[in-house]
Amino acid sequence: MSDKSQKQVFTQPLFIVFALLTVVGLVCWFLQLTRGLQLTNLNNYNTWGLYIIGFMIFTGIAAGSLIFASSSYLFLGMSEYKPYTRIAAFVGAIGSVVAAGLFIIVDIGNPERAWYIIARANISSPMFWDTLILGAYVIIGILFTRQLMAVHAGQKEEKSLRAISIVSFVAGLLVMVTSFVFALQVARPLWNNPVESVSFLAAALVAAFSLLVIIFAILNKSGYIDISQEKLSKIGKLAAAFLFFELFVVLEEVAIGIYAGSGEEAEIIHWLVRGEGAPFFWVELIAIVVGLVLLFSKKTGTLVVGSAVSIFAIFMIKYNLLQAQLLNPLITYAGPPGYSGGEGVYLPSLIEIGVAVGIISLGTLLIMIGLDRLGLGIKSGQSVSGLGFKTKVKQV
Amino acid sequence: MANKHQAMVINLKRCIGCHTCAMACKVENNLPNHIWWNRVLTVGGEEMDTPQGTFPNIKMQYLTLNCQHCENPACVKACPVGATYKREEDGIVMQDYDKCIGCRMCMVACPYNARSFNWSKPEYSVDFPVGSTDAAPHQYNVVEKCTFCTHRLSQDKKPACIEVCPARARFFGDLDDPESDVSKAIKGHNYVKMLEEKGTKPSIFYLT
Repeated sequence: MSDKSQKQVFTQPLFIVFALLTVVGLVCWFLQLTRGLQLTNLNNYNTWGLYIIGFMIFTGIAAGSLIFASSSYLFLGMSEYKPYTRIAAFVGAIGSVVAAGLFIIVDIGNPERAWYIIARANISSPMFWDTLILGAYVIIGILFTRQLMAVHAGQKEEKSLRAISIVSFVAGLLVMVTSFVFALQVARPLWNNPVESVSFLAAALVAAFSLLVIIFAILNKSGYIDISQEKLSKIGKLAAAFLFFELFVVLEEVAIGIYAGSGEEAEIIHWLVRGEGAPFFWVELIAIVVGLVLLFSKKTGTLVVGSAVSIFAIFMIKYNLLQAQLLNPLITYAGPPGYSGGEGVYLPSLIEIGVAVGIISLGTLLIMIGLDRLGLGIKSGQSVSGLGFKTKVKQV
Repeated sequence: MANKHQAMVINLKRCIGCHTCAMACKVENNLPNHIWWNRVLTVGGEEMDTPQGTFPNIKMQYLTLNCQHCENPACVKACPVGATYKREEDGIVMQDYDKCIGCRMCMVACPYNARSFNWSKPEYSVDFPVGSTDAAPHQYNVVEKCTFCTHRLSQDKKPACIEVCPARARFFGDLDDPESDVSKAIKGHNYVKMLEEKGTKPSIFYLT
């Protein structure tokens, strides 16, 4: 790589903004490490919050990206996306997995003991299974991206991709297992149902496809890749199909609670639909519907907005999945302060938001560097510096 | 030595809601501020110690809640590092502070919300430690909960909450021994276990 290209990515305004946000995140994490998780708005009831939502979303994006990339080599209908699989595999394997892993690290009280999950593993814990899956995503993603690059460079035959594509596809489907952290808990009736794993897969595909639409649209504009409007719209429609499934799951959960009228599930749904959680629920529902409509747009701009709204809709689905359940425990009798069942709603603290923004920024930086250094575009001679919407041809 | 099944019996009809058991637990185990391993809940009222209903048709019922030391503990299965485990010899569910990574998976798994997390550095209302010198020191960033006062059991004493109950509503002992206090307390009486339908097989019996 020439010095010129090095200069290009690291001095881009957007790169500097994300670098600064990463530093802000680091400062927030430092504060949290020194003063404790008391700086978050978590408590003994709402014990998981923004960090776990981030983990769920980015594990989903990683899985969905692997499924997108591998599908292009496994299914004829997806083969038109072969030129873009390197970007998808890289986004999934590096940016998202790093973000997902970091969201766990910042969530746990003793990050210096995180390696115990491997060294002293309790194999019956769904959290151990998640760790294995995340580790597998790193390895499979790197191998897949390398193999795709080798094929693109003409060093390998395209048919050599078949085995790794099957492995990647299956790995992507394993995102369903990440729902077991929630779905296997008898203590949590809202999560304790078989649709949870399928819903996690659908959410993963919506988040990943929507993010890919946004990335592809930006890179298309900058000239890094060349993707037609029809191809973008088709990804949008695929995301919409899975978002529709999510809408169905949300409405079904509401129907179960309301129809029952009273009992464990009903209390949670009443809290969510017309109780304290109602504003969050209605924002979620509106976001899903707006996302669904906009994802069918034929205009790239609207499609990108629709994709962003859809990612927000998935965020709200996960947000409410956590707080509606955790704030409505099975035993709600009044007790000493802090032990009176769930109280109020969950809003992340500024520290939590700062850390989360920092992690997402770091993931974005990794993707920007990768796009620039690895030449993942259709015309690999071109630089990503066009992210600032100026196309420059690299002097290689 | 034969395996025991340590259990607790709480007579809800005798409980007067005085919070003495909760205080004894707090002092004995030198619990940090804001942490309660054993707490007295008020059934029905909006706030703690408030009655159910409208005057004059009011009623008060208390329920003390601590770790249920389940035979099939959801927390033990969920913990990714085995920091929470069930002791073979007496069925007590323990928490190893040195292993706990602070992920709070066990808190999500527990149907009783019996577990507490040290969100801040343990602080105490007085500057010096109170309670038993044998109680395990508290740690930052880990989950903790009722231990059935294992440090007292090893000295052949009963848990702190049992001895202080002025209404004599609390009993403790080996469920497998027909002569133990708990076996005698439940014999011929109606009892419930909390959220028994969740399949956790709790070791706390509530006489009704």
